[in-house]
Amino acid sequence: MFQPLEHGCTLKKGDEALKGYRKYFLNKLFWFLLTFVAAFLLNFILPRLMPGDPVAVITQKVATGMQSQAAVQAVYQQYAEQFGTNKPLHEQFLLYVTNVFKGNFGTSFSQFPRPVSEIIKASLGWTLALQFPAIIFGWIVGNLLGALAAYLKGTFDKFVMPVSIFISNLPAFGMAVILLVVFAVNLRWFPTSGGYGFDMIPSLRWDFVRSVIHHYQLPFWSIVLIMIGGQAIGMRSMAIYELNADYVKYSRFMGIKDQKIIGYVFRNAMLPQVTGLALSIGTMVGGALIAEIIFSYPGLGTTMLSGIMGQDYPLISAVTLIITLMTLFANFAIEIIYGIIDPRIKAAQSD
Amino acid sequence: MIHTLQQIFHSGKFKLGFAIFTSLLAFIFIYPIFIPEAPLAILGQGTFFPPGIYVNVYDSLDTSKYIINQEGAAKRRIANKLSEDDRVAIKEYLVAAGVDESRIDITNTDELLQQWKATFDPKRSIKGFTNAKRNYYIRLNTALQSLYSTGPAIIAVNDPETNTLLESKKVTVTEYVNVNEVPTVRIFPLGTDNFGRDMLTELVAATKTSLQIGFIAGLIATLIGLTLGLLAGYIGGFVDDIINFISNLFIVIPPFVLLVLISFSIGQEQRGASTVAAVIGFTSWVWTARAVRSQVISLRNRDHVNLSKLSGHSIPHIILTDILPYIASYVIMAMILQISSGILAEASLSILGLGPKTTEVPTLGLMMNWAMIYQAQLQGNWWAYFPVLAVIALIAFSMNLMNTGLDQVFNPSLRD
Amino acid sequence: MKKNLNVLFTLLVLLGIMLSACSAPAATEAPAAEAPAAEAPAAEAPAAEAPVAEEPVTADTLPREQTMYFNGLQWGPITGWNPYSSNNNNAMAVNQQDNALLTMFETPYAYNMLSGEFVPLLADGPYAWDEGMTAITFKIKSAAKWSDGTPITADDAAYTWATNIKYETNAGVSNKEYIDTIEAVDAQTVVVKAKLNADGKAVNPLLVANYLTNNYIIQKAWTETLEARSADAAAFKADPAEDVVGSGPYKKFFADETKVVLERDDNYWGQDASMFGKLPTPKYLAHIMYKDNAAGFTAFQAGEVDVSQQFNANIQDLWLKDMLPVSTYLPEAPYGIGASLPTAFFNVASNGLDQVAIRKAIAMAVDYDTIIANAMTNQSATFTQVPRSIMNPTAGEQGMYDQAAVAELQWTGKDIEGAKAMLDAAGVVDSDGDGWREYNGKKLSYVALCPNGWSDWQAAIEVVAAAGKEIGIEITTNFPEWAVYQTVVTNWPLPEGYDIFMMWSDGAGPAQPWARVRKLIGSEFAQTQGNWNGNWGGYKNADADALIAGIPGMTDPAEVKAAYTELTKIYLTDVPSFTLMYRPQNFHAVNETVWTNFPHDGDGTNPPVPPMDLVFGWGIAGLYNVELVK
Repeated sequence: MFQPLEHGCTLKKGDEALKGYRKYFLNKLFWFLLTFVAAFLLNFILPRLMPGDPVAVITQKVATGMQSQAAVQAVYQQYAEQFGTNKPLHEQFLLYVTNVFKGNFGTSFSQFPRPVSEIIKASLGWTLALQFPAIIFGWIVGNLLGALAAYLKGTFDKFVMPVSIFISNLPAFGMAVILLVVFAVNLRWFPTSGGYGFDMIPSLRWDFVRSVIHHYQLPFWSIVLIMIGGQAIGMRSMAIYELNADYVKYSRFMGIKDQKIIGYVFRNAMLPQVTGLALSIGTMVGGALIAEIIFSYPGLGTTMLSGIMGQDYPLISAVTLIITLMTLFANFAIEIIYGIIDPRIKAAQSD
Repeated sequence: MIHTLQQIFHSGKFKLGFAIFTSLLAFIFIYPIFIPEAPLAILGQGTFFPPGIYVNVYDSLDTSKYIINQEGAAKRRIANKLSEDDRVAIKEYLVAAGVDESRIDITNTDELLQQWKATFDPKRSIKGFTNAKRNYYIRLNTALQSLYSTGPAIIAVNDPETNTLLESKKVTVTEYVNVNEVPTVRIFPLGTDNFGRDMLTELVAATKTSLQIGFIAGLIATLIGLTLGLLAGYIGGFVDDIINFISNLFIVIPPFVLLVLISFSIGQEQRGASTVAAVIGFTSWVWTARAVRSQVISLRNRDHVNLSKLSGHSIPHIILTDILPYIASYVIMAMILQISSGILAEASLSILGLGPKTTEVPTLGLMMNWAMIYQAQLQGNWWAYFPVLAVIALIAFSMNLMNTGLDQVFNPSLRD
Repeated sequence: MKKNLNVLFTLLVLLGIMLSACSAPAATEAPAAEAPAAEAPAAEAPAAEAPVAEEPVTADTLPREQTMYFNGLQWGPITGWNPYSSNNNNAMAVNQQDNALLTMFETPYAYNMLSGEFVPLLADGPYAWDEGMTAITFKIKSAAKWSDGTPITADDAAYTWATNIKYETNAGVSNKEYIDTIEAVDAQTVVVKAKLNADGKAVNPLLVANYLTNNYIIQKAWTETLEARSADAAAFKADPAEDVVGSGPYKKFFADETKVVLERDDNYWGQDASMFGKLPTPKYLAHIMYKDNAAGFTAFQAGEVDVSQQFNANIQDLWLKDMLPVSTYLPEAPYGIGASLPTAFFNVASNGLDQVAIRKAIAMAVDYDTIIANAMTNQSATFTQVPRSIMNPTAGEQGMYDQAAVAELQWTGKDIEGAKAMLDAAGVVDSDGDGWREYNGKKLSYVALCPNGWSDWQAAIEVVAAAGKEIGIEITTNFPEWAVYQTVVTNWPLPEGYDIFMMWSDGAGPAQPWARVRKLIGSEFAQTQGNWNGNWGGYKNADADALIAGIPGMTDPAEVKAAYTELTKIYLTDVPSFTLMYRPQNFHAVNETVWTNFPHDGDGTNPPVPPMDLVFGWGIAGLYNVELVK
């Protein structure tokens, strides 16, 4: 970054900087591993702290309609044995850890006897395909709009700003419901629910792909629109801040080309926005949840919610573990890259 | 201080946000004074009565009558029972039943009704007509009964002794009552919800509860975030690492997931409005902590802080007098955002069926949840969900406007 | 200014590049997007406009005019097709309960909930009890064949039972106390021997006959294959059985996370003149897994669903306001045939709820009309239309008790004055002037509960709570999560705070109303652990028990009627629980955009086809009557 902090940014000799960076990297790696272990543990424990008895839930499904009392009891025992819920928690944990490292997340409670990995495999793709493009697209458009608003000011700014604020403040479900009612229920431009045509069988054919894209639109835009607003506001502030910074005035005074200055300005303003992008991966599943529910879109969010409602420990643990890993790696990567490109952090290393 | 306030109120964005917010506040405090009704009282037997003025039919019979010879009244009366679509459908039926198509004139009401009366048979089953269509004709036939005669309708009461009907009143087609004279009139400005409750009364109470939830959540999040941010930023080192570690945990297990897990675990019976607010607060402090930390880091080596350190002041003293004042404006802005996101979090939780338990007053999220459970959004009952959405958006919008306004005041470089 | 324009232009170009770079993956990154667009543009058209003609469908797209769509049955992905397992989560193929699912597997008899008849399906003609009511004999139709073409024999029936017992399947465990053995006399003749009690009489003849409509006959040969590949009983029951052989008119076709499709078996034995004489009309039965009622409703509204088995609030708006070709079994409210009785149970151990007067007063004060209008949006008969008893509103059950004899005891609700008078007479009054009545010196304060998210029940419980206030009894509501709720109410004793709580009762079935009555007031289940059956409030009555025990063995209808009348009297006098509304066995609304001639009241079928979504019990016959619109 161009604007140095008070405590100074003096260039050091190359090897010294490298040493500083190695220290920084090792420090980050240590905390990264520690966070991972703690998160792993929490992912196991949290779902199991929930009240209620999942085995009773399965038993009930089986038991309605059974005329005999002893029969119901027998069914319950059978399941408790099968899931190992009658074992102490630490034994369950050890079993869990060994299994996870073999890529086995156990058997689902709520969708017994399906393995958890199969359930996740079926829903993860949908969530990634919906969320990644939506987040990145929303991020880019939002930042461009924000930058434009900061640079052009005037009517463009006066218009973009309040609209961005308003849209980004619509609750996610509100946006989804409005899109659904307007474009699906009333105008009938888009289908109301599902990931592909209700009359289709998945296959690699053009009309199936077209159907997938068609079904993709409303959930996609419900995420993008909200994303754009938030990003635009952030980018605008950052850009204005940078545009008014001393170095810009100084550069102008020095006669450096305007285009070159603008390039620096937006690169600097971008940096914090990149962090935001990495972190929004963590909010992906939470954000996806609402869109998935309202549009009946297959995906991880609803898988997790049904896991929670059905007290499906293995399923919840696996889903949260995946989210955790994704966020953790994104964060770690960002911090490492930051350490390389942001002089302020370099400075802090030697602080 | 006064100068700052003046500056704040000079910002157009802040003024607009403040105006929206205070009018909402004023409304939710004034409304109950005039309509002191329990917000959850079940009034309507039935769901989703549309907005409007409801006049008691029984009492309107005893209200003085006015004869008004309004032009077109008869036409409207007929159109109400026999729409253009109905006429076309009648023709379709008549043709299917064997009436000569050339003899049917759907613009001639009297003739059409005569033909219908002569032809319609509820038991007739016509090939190609669905059951839905059959039912439609039966309903239409019932609706048309009153069109066959234009004489007065007779109101009768049952004589309990003889168990016979005694004529008590006649109502002709030109009689009107003045709504102001009917003693029992009920206005539902926003209709009723799925429980038969007055939407507006409920909405006002819900807004209040949601604001409280948002405020408590925001306060808790800000306090935690501020404390941890100050500690991490000022003390640094190992404390910083630990706090960073904790806040990282809250990021990698996303707050919303935590929120859902915790809310489910607490169970509905324990989930009062303030509990939900607290849970939201405890899971959303991370951003405040991070931001405060970075602000503090940039402050801690400033001259006045160093001076204070040299003078031997204690750490709490330095934080309170030399650091806090410099980040106060920032903290206030962060809190405003926390409040509005707290309101959104409550709404999202409620949509998932994990909202607070309330026996006296609803929340905005719960209202939205019930409207969606009874499919108001799909059946065109806009009054049951749209005002709720609008209020949520208005609250968040006004708070963010105020925040942006403040931002411009405290960060002069952001000013237009 | 010029510089500004330049920058603006650069930015716009940049925006353009990014938009195009980004919207491309945005649009195609969805799964299966690997298909190159150029691959088969020609294949794109025919699917939707496929003619009705039975051309071989490679079924990338299900032809709309050959497919019947359902909603509200299947929630979440299917886990198997194993008729021995109870964990298939397969609501389109496997379900052995009252009104068994008859698409892929078949029972000897199909239960008709409207008439109460056992309609022979795999069985040939009616079954017969022997002299002392110890064994049932029935024959299997000679035309009956498995989907692999081999004949269905009595041996299959016997082997199914033996397997059920050996592997402790649900069907085995829940019937072994009543059925001793099932044997093959010859290739066609099956004998079901009842378990006998000390007196040499069948323990429960009703439940023996029940087996014939509720449980499938499964192929012996396939069962043996399954046994051969299963290590133990758990593996046997957890097998997804992708290779299963059934006898029903449909077979499995496709299943994934979002849908399940069955395809008609064009060699189905039932096209023999001895059964239906033809094949069912739709070639495919498909069920999309909607996330919730709202999503299912939207699809139903859009005509993407033909048969809806879900609670669609204000269903009448679909034809009154939206003018859609939607109809229900009855044209006017309650739109369907009520079959089960969602009921609020009193915890008789709570302070004051051991008193009949207090229980009855609360039940009398509740405004049932509001519950039915608001919670059920009028999709239930009112208690004026069908007076309160232990019977469901079907004509068959209503005729099983003497209505006049209990008329004095029935209440229709919102009787605040009557309830107050009853409390006053019992000496339950407000003596300290705080507005609430006391019993034993303690203020009457109760919590009314039902599971969270069960919307119509929650709405009903709110109305119950409102009634308390009117008669000076404090009632607050509480909606625990189902996961918690169900473990609490099924285990006696109930903790504090579980005073008035909702649970279900049995619907319509071959052992009804006996099984429902038994579960509502039989002491057998009262105050027990792991109780999934009924009488969760803990009420006990020896007279009722004697009557309940006697009914299955009774053969004289008049005697049975007298017993049920007596039981109704006990129930309405003691009020151990009270019914809040009537609920249909299955919701059954149809959108006649594509298909028509669904079962409806007065459709002229004989025996009448019940509104059971064309897949349950004798409702399956509806599949042979539906036709395309136009």
